[in-house]
Amino acid sequence: MAESTATVPPTADDDDGGLKRSITGAQLFFYTLGDVLGSGIYVLIGLVAAAVGGAFWIAFAAGVTVAAITGSAYAELVTKYPQAAGSSLYVQKAFRNRPLTFLVTVSFLAASFAASGSLATGFASYFSELFDGGGPPALIVSLLFVAILVLINFIGITESVVMNMLMTFIELSGLLIVIIIAIYHIAQGNADFGTLTDISVSGNPGLAVLAGVALSFFAMTGFENTANVAEETIDPYKAFPRSLIGGMVVAGLVYVLVSMAAALTVPIDTLAESDVALLEVVKQGILPFSTELMTTIFTIIALVAITNTTLVTLVTQPRILYGMAREDVVPGVFAKIHPTRRSPWVGLLFSGLVVGALLVTGYAVTAAGGGIDLVNRLALVTVVFLLLIYALVIVTCLKLRGQDEDERAFRANTPLLLLGLVGNLAILYYVIYDDPTSLLWCAGLLAVGGALFLAEHFFGSRGTGATAPELEKEI
Amino acid sequence: MHVIVATDGSKQSLAAAKQLKAFADPTKITDISVVAVMRPLASVAFADDLSDHPARKGEWESASFRDAAESALSTIAAVYDGWGPKVHKRIRSGSAANEIIKAAKQYDAGLVVVAAGGRGLSDSVLVGSTAQRVQHYAPCPVLVVRPAPRVKKARKG
Repeated sequence: MAESTATVPPTADDDDGGLKRSITGAQLFFYTLGDVLGSGIYVLIGLVAAAVGGAFWIAFAAGVTVAAITGSAYAELVTKYPQAAGSSLYVQKAFRNRPLTFLVTVSFLAASFAASGSLATGFASYFSELFDGGGPPALIVSLLFVAILVLINFIGITESVVMNMLMTFIELSGLLIVIIIAIYHIAQGNADFGTLTDISVSGNPGLAVLAGVALSFFAMTGFENTANVAEETIDPYKAFPRSLIGGMVVAGLVYVLVSMAAALTVPIDTLAESDVALLEVVKQGILPFSTELMTTIFTIIALVAITNTTLVTLVTQPRILYGMAREDVVPGVFAKIHPTRRSPWVGLLFSGLVVGALLVTGYAVTAAGGGIDLVNRLALVTVVFLLLIYALVIVTCLKLRGQDEDERAFRANTPLLLLGLVGNLAILYYVIYDDPTSLLWCAGLLAVGGALFLAEHFFGSRGTGATAPELEKEI
Repeated sequence: MHVIVATDGSKQSLAAAKQLKAFADPTKITDISVVAVMRPLASVAFADDLSDHPARKGEWESASFRDAAESALSTIAAVYDGWGPKVHKRIRSGSAANEIIKAAKQYDAGLVVVAAGGRGLSDSVLVGSTAQRVQHYAPCPVLVVRPAPRVKKARKG
């Protein structure tokens, strides 16, 4: 080693695989499943039941199908561009139009914030069940919930793959309990299958189902977060489409079974009125165990499920802000990484504050007699954004055909994609037709995003996030 | 001897890499593996604070955390340019401490170089830092490079 000038040029992928990736197909499958399952079923099933009636499993089946087709477009794009930026990246690649990319990103963030808010309220509803409807005030619970998740995220406990799998299994077990209760109920000969075809609303049954589809669609959102781990997936060309679409199909199947189970075991009115609809199934006391014990267990499972999904949304938001800051779309401060924890702490704090502010405002509006449930309202309104983004992603997928092709890349079925596009637009049309004021809400949310954009435009010129943030600037 | 130099893209890790060079005897070291660990489930899987990237805005290239890890590895590897030992750049994926320890075992390392976290609350009170865990479980000696004490900023005005 005397001739030290002859340093061998370092290579990144020498000998034993210098480029190790760690997420296996199975892990990705459970990541998708956990992410999708927690996002809606525990919170939304009552609303869907209210919109459609006993046949609300049809709405779930349709919503899930449209979502899964959209998922296949994501799978194709992810295998082509395995970076973690998700829809923003794809739209940018296809249209190279910064305002459009910005719009997509802000819409996605808005939807994600609203979803976190809705999940946090859902968490509080289930939490109060542990105290028989009493316990600490819901607002405090939901705020603490968000604060703790932000902290956990900052420390990095979320990064445990094992923990993630464990939470998904717990989540799945809750839904299995519901299905088992229904099977037991059927075996005892108490089930009335007539409920399953009952569309108990006045007016057009087609529209009723469409309303249910729009709602149940929300239960499938979250799958796009799987792009987070695209870059770290082993053999992504094979594993990603399989696990993403497989995860969505399994989640969809579970949804349909669970909604059938709920419809068979609980009167639809009870489901429709409940904040904790799935818990009603357990509360029917069908299984020959202590109902009280079952209720507690199930409540805890529901809490885990909601936590799991909220964690993923809280991981995704700072990541998107980070990406945008590095592209100089939002102020560079969002690209600030904590020097030792390596977390994007500014973005994380911002996400936590926005969701917290949303919860407080929602509470204030209700307390002041505003007559609307702001948080859930926003969550539903932002479905408009998601539908637009999904439709756009399908268009993007088709537009990028022939570009950056790789024979290993997954190719989604084109007629199905067109069907998915029509499905997304139909749901979008219905949501706006049903509730034109949602457009106003959306405009308001976009204005907030626009303010951020302008802030960057006028004040952000010196701090480009593209260079490393200065460590010394802190405190 | 095979030495592992871990980087999380932080400036401390660059300081640690230089520290090794400052006292070690290059003729005793055969190989240096610079290891970066991606954290797939984290908000930011890898952030590179070390390199000046040629920013390609509008391309969303910075969305690739692997690219960030590669550029951090290159910056660290450049520290040992012309020093002697063969330098390998390796990206791993998973939990940082785990992967560093695994790498140490796999490459039969004689020394692991890590940067210690800050001296702040978050590292002593909350879950132990990567450096602590590596210290506890590494199969070989560990060099933990602590950050220099903060210089009072008052002089700079």
